Formats: sequence, structure tokens, C-alpha cells
Amino acid sequence: MNCNEAAALVAAHADGEIDRLRGHSLTKHLRGCAQCAEKHEAVLALRRRLHAEVEYHLAPPALKQRVVSALAAAEPSFALKAPPPVSRWQWMGAGALAGCAATVFAWIIGTALIDARARDDLAAEATVAHVRATLGNHLVEVASSDQHTVKPWLSARLDYSPPVRDMAASGFTLVGGRLDYLGGQHVATLVYRYRDHMVDVFVRPRTAVSPDLGLRTLRGFNVARASGVAFDWVAVSDVSADVLAPFVETLAKEQ
Amino acid sequence: MPAHARFTDLVVQHLDAGYNLARWLARDADDAQDVVQDACMRALKYADSLQGNDARAWFLTIVRHAFYDWCRRNRPSEIAHDDGAAIDAAIANPALGPEPSAIRGAETRALSEALAQLPLQFREVIVLRELEELSYKQIAKVVDIPVGTVMSRLSRARALLQHSPLLHAIRGQSFGGES
Repeated sequence: MNCNEAAALVAAHADGEIDRLRGHSLTKHLRGCAQCAEKHEAVLALRRRLHAEVEYHLAPPALKQRVVSALAAAEPSFALKAPPPVSRWQWMGAGALAGCAATVFAWIIGTALIDARARDDLAAEATVAHVRATLGNHLVEVASSDQHTVKPWLSARLDYSPPVRDMAASGFTLVGGRLDYLGGQHVATLVYRYRDHMVDVFVRPRTAVSPDLGLRTLRGFNVARASGVAFDWVAVSDVSADVLAPFVETLAKEQ
Repeated sequence: MPAHARFTDLVVQHLDAGYNLARWLARDADDAQDVVQDACMRALKYADSLQGNDARAWFLTIVRHAFYDWCRRNRPSEIAHDDGAAIDAAIANPALGPEPSAIRGAETRALSEALAQLPLQFREVIVLRELEELSYKQIAKVVDIPVGTVMSRLSRARALLQHSPLLHAIRGQSFGGES
């Protein structure tokens, strides 16, 4: 083996990536050639220093937790694909019946697959919607800190007009809004920012059966609920409970 | 759901590897977390594409894709500049190295610094080889290049590190003497 051949194999040898036969003839060459031996040793030395000195970054525990809860939360949402908001004119088309049947079919299959808690529990569904929106970077469909922009956008897409207020005075800045599909109906979602935290507030007309009020913690997120005169409010966020609960109560009271 | 629980276990098992890769590519702890979180959701979506037993290489491939997509959105210039010119600049960088009297601790940081400054395509092969200890074949799969290219990139990357102005030259003999 000459120096050119050896040069091509030195790194592979240091990486333990050459077969025994070529490894043998390379070793023989290195014994007799100081120049190639030095190159080989330089690669080994660099490898040793990289192992000893360069930090291996371990995943922070908080990331691990977030991933676990996100995967747990995402799973039902993968089974249950909420139908996209459909303009009512489309229903008048010839394909309406087929579309309707397909939606119903998807709904039945989806409902059969998701776990019972998410099916029956608005809080769990709201948490899933919050996680999905956060992970998908799909928090807002209408981005505006102006309540007079967000409200008409939502009203135009729903059969009710949700109250939208900027709460900047109490630290909650309005970021925008989007539509979600909760408890079998489209609902308005108001998105607020509190410091570095995103807060989703789901608003729907008050139902005959009010949801359980008060606080819950689901998959690491706080869920606070309140009922006003005309609307039910559900806020989901990683903001601490003692901040989130008064916030949603204020929204419900002063609509 | 046992299948789903198994999938979560599998992702968690390789989360450190994924985070380490993302952290070295993004060079920022928060950005790396975003990338890994995105990668986990993609992994769920592409769970079907996991064949064989090499879940780590599979997950690292997804993390790498998630990083490059993130990078195109947030730091397009970094990818655009990751070409020959950047490499020449890295070699010819006139920045002064540490004083010969620099303490060993500074040298230690200097190697991390030199790695962090490598152009992306070289940084990723070094991280995959030296920190994740993947084989040439696995690296070829993760980065989606032929094994021959893995070898030439690794050798180029090592030459850049060995001659980095941030470091004393890393030579076999001098290292042997120090340790």
C-alpha cells in the first residue's frame, strides 16, 4: 500500500469503517510511514477531543413532558378530523348529499375511535384544539389586536356573534381569532397573549346544560370555565390557574 | 391505546438524540425545542414509514427535515450562504486564535465554538458521527447522500476543525503529549 491509498483509508480506519483485510494492510503501512501515521493519529486525536469536550445536549425535562402530552393529545385529533368550515352555499350544490354522508361517516368513525373522555368532555376537546393549534402554528386565522376586526370576522362565519374584548389592561393582549369545532359545533376561539404564554378562549352560546364550571388541569394545561348571561367561556393555557380563572370570569361577567 | 403508547415510548427514547442534533444545528435552545416538537408531530404522521429497527436514524432524519424547514422559514440566509464561499471563508477566517498560554478550559470551549461555526452541511455530519456515533451508512440515510459523500464531507469537516483558527492545531503528537 502506498501513501495515496493509505490517505484515502485513514479516516475510515479511525472510524472503524474498513474491512479487516484493508485494515491489516493499512496498519502495516502506518507502522512504516511516519507521515501517514501522524495523519491517522490526528483524526483519532480530534475524535477523542470531540468526545471529551463537546457537549451532548440532553432534552430538557419540560420538552419531554410537552412532547408526551402533545402526542397523547394529538392522537384523538388524528382520528377525529374536524370538518373544515364550509360555506353554506356549498351545501346547495349537487354534491351536498354525498358530502353530507361522507362527513357523517367520518364523524361516526372518528367518534368511535377517540377516547370517551374527549368525546364527552368539552374541556378535553378544548385542550386538544389548543395543543393542535399551538403545534401546527395555526393559532390565528384572523390576526389582529383590534376587537373591531376580530369580531366581524368571527360573526361572518358563525351563527352567533361572540363578544370580543381587548384585555390588555389586565395583561392579556388580543392576538386574533380562529374557528374551532367543539362539542359538535363550530365555535369562536379568541387568542390572547399573556406574557410569553398563548391563551385560547372558546366562546359559544350558553347551552341549556351548563358545563361544569371551575378549574381543571388536563395534560399539563389549565382549563378554566365560566358562564355569563348569554355565553359559555372556556380558557385553555399553560398560564397558571390563579391568573387564568379570574381572567375567564371577567370575560364572562362583563360581556 | 397500546400501539400509541408504544409510539410515544419510541419517540421519548430518542428524544435526547433528536434534541442534541437540533440544538447543534439551530445553535439555540429554544429554537431546538420548537424543531423537536414539530419533528415529534411529523413522526406521528409518518409512523408508517418506520421500517426495520433503526428508529433512531429514522427519528433523526425527521428532526433534520424539521430543522431545515424551520431554517428556510426563519433563517433563509443561513442555508443560502451554506456554499463554497462560506466554506472558504471558514478556512481563511483571519480571526486570531487563543493565546498560546490560553488555559485548557478556554481550549475546551474553543472546540465547541469551532464546531458551532462550521457550515451546516459539515456540522451535521460531525454531530451525527461523533456525538450520535452513527455509521457512514446511517449518516448517508439520514442526510440522504451517498456514502462516498459522507466520507468526503466528514474529511472536509475534520480538516476545518483541525485548522480552525480558534484552536491550536490538533495534531496527533502534540495531543499525545498533553494528555
